Amino acid sequence: MKLEDFNILVIDENPDRAAIVERGLVEGGYTRVSRIGTSFNLVERIQVLAPDIIIIDLENPDRDTLEQMFQVSRAIARPIAMFVDQSDNNMIREAVEAGVSAYVVDGLRQDRIRPIVEMAISRFGAFDQLRRERDEAKAKLSERKLIDRAKGLLMQEKGLSEEDAYNLLRKNAMKQNRKIFEIAQSVITAFQLEF
Amino acid sequence: MPLKQVRLGFVPLVDCALPVVARTKGFAEEENIDLTLVREMSWAAIRDKLSYGVFDAAHLLAGIPLAARIGLGGVPSQRLVVPMALGRGGNAITVSTRLYQRMLEADPAAMHGPRGLSARALKKVIEEDRAAGRPIMSFATVFPFSSHNYELRYWMAAGGIDPDKDVNIGVIAPPRMFDSLRNGWVDGYCVGEPWNQRAVFQGDGVIVALKDDIWSRSPEKVLGVREDWALSNPDTVDGLVRALVRAAEWADQPENRTELAQLLSHENHVGASFDILRASLQGRPVLKPGDNPIDAPDRHVFYRYTATFPWLSQGAWVGRQMQRWGQVDKTVDFNAVVAEIYRPDIYRRAVADLDVALPREDWRVEGLNDAEDRALVGSDAFLDNSIFDMRSAASAADAPADHAMVPDR
Repeated sequence: MKLEDFNILVIDENPDRAAIVERGLVEGGYTRVSRIGTSFNLVERIQVLAPDIIIIDLENPDRDTLEQMFQVSRAIARPIAMFVDQSDNNMIREAVEAGVSAYVVDGLRQDRIRPIVEMAISRFGAFDQLRRERDEAKAKLSERKLIDRAKGLLMQEKGLSEEDAYNLLRKNAMKQNRKIFEIAQSVITAFQLEF
Repeated sequence: MPLKQVRLGFVPLVDCALPVVARTKGFAEEENIDLTLVREMSWAAIRDKLSYGVFDAAHLLAGIPLAARIGLGGVPSQRLVVPMALGRGGNAITVSTRLYQRMLEADPAAMHGPRGLSARALKKVIEEDRAAGRPIMSFATVFPFSSHNYELRYWMAAGGIDPDKDVNIGVIAPPRMFDSLRNGWVDGYCVGEPWNQRAVFQGDGVIVALKDDIWSRSPEKVLGVREDWALSNPDTVDGLVRALVRAAEWADQPENRTELAQLLSHENHVGASFDILRASLQGRPVLKPGDNPIDAPDRHVFYRYTATFPWLSQGAWVGRQMQRWGQVDKTVDFNAVVAEIYRPDIYRRAVADLDVALPREDWRVEGLNDAEDRALVGSDAFLDNSIFDMRSAASAADAPADHAMVPDR
């Protein structure tokens, strides 16, 4: 099976994290990636999407529903089992610690699955770090400091003057009806997101 | 002496009471344990975090350590052990008010008879639907390997319903059950409190059978720990068991039940309304919107009737139900599996210096309900008055029709 043939489904209640995982997979050459949030017709949606692999956040209550699918084979056309590789307990531990769980169609080769799960683990980790950094940044910097930092990034990365950088932030704040420091926060996050 | 850190995962249900009481009333601290409680919304998440060391201990469905040992449910085989049980009772079967009306019209006699046999009315509704060409109804339990799943199936089978053919049984995590019923995604469910009582209080559901109606004073959640952790931290395991047993004794005093309802209503614990939790904990549940509460003093039992003792026969019963419903091959010897997982030896060692009633044997004939039994464990009859003797291979071999009342199929 070629990378672009893998049908991957990302289930996550956090749309930002799901987007980061999806982008990582697509950049890694997996083109058939879909994502869904919480849904009450989960079994039906999975039947329609017929994924080879499901990546789902470990704490998602939908996992209990997914686990039932192993038991009731008639509920789903293709049997799905949780990522099981007896030889690779460390990887499962890493996944649990990162908050990732994976379910795969039975019979898929472990060496084809591993890079996908590894990608999810690293993206969950990156998201956690971003979130942590953002929380820390929030605590440390006043609004003024956030704006100064965003201005600096715009000047450095986009070659704007200090006045133009500030005007760009202000213009976007007015257009989006948000505060300037919120736009500044978005700018900072956006630059951090460039992996 | 520094406190020993223990991280314990739990799901927001009334039967997380013992860890909550052990922490908040100081029983854990008296055993030199700093007990950190972590609230989880999924049984799969609790199982994985316990198995891979994020948690030291967990509030578990009794089926989870059995399924984990034989490698069911997706993770490689895990060696979890059960040093104690966390109480009895607490579950119920709730149906939508609409389905309740249909059951009442289809078979008023069954609906006014013993609640354990109310599935006979459901059978009539299923027959009506079949004759009219309507789709089959959907029910939910909380996990494939849950007592809720086995209780719902036991109740249905006793009413002549084949739970694998006549209805759909799916899985929804406990905190989401209530919305699923309210929005009509399921017609009924079996779940622990407060999620039944809440449906009744909000006018969306009717309780048609209590856990007690299906199997009186039947066992519910257990304490799970990893075997290697238990082996390398024997003093901590013993201290944790003692703290939870003393918490159970506190939680079973009628005069403490109001305070317990307050503790559990906190958003870090169960996070449901105080009134709903109090009704259930005081043994005064309301079964139908607008009705007066009924007297069910043993609705939640934490300490009496050896409610914290890890009876081998109760683990074996769960294992046999897994086989009865085709989750596990009949060749698996659950008596042997349970003997490795249930650890009454740890329990006896831990409570040796406490004044706790201890049975002579580690197993018993479940459902016997004779005088000696009633003194020890209370009346423990099954709805069909059958008995479960773990020494008898026949009850597993005859599954799924292993109980007299399972009718013509």
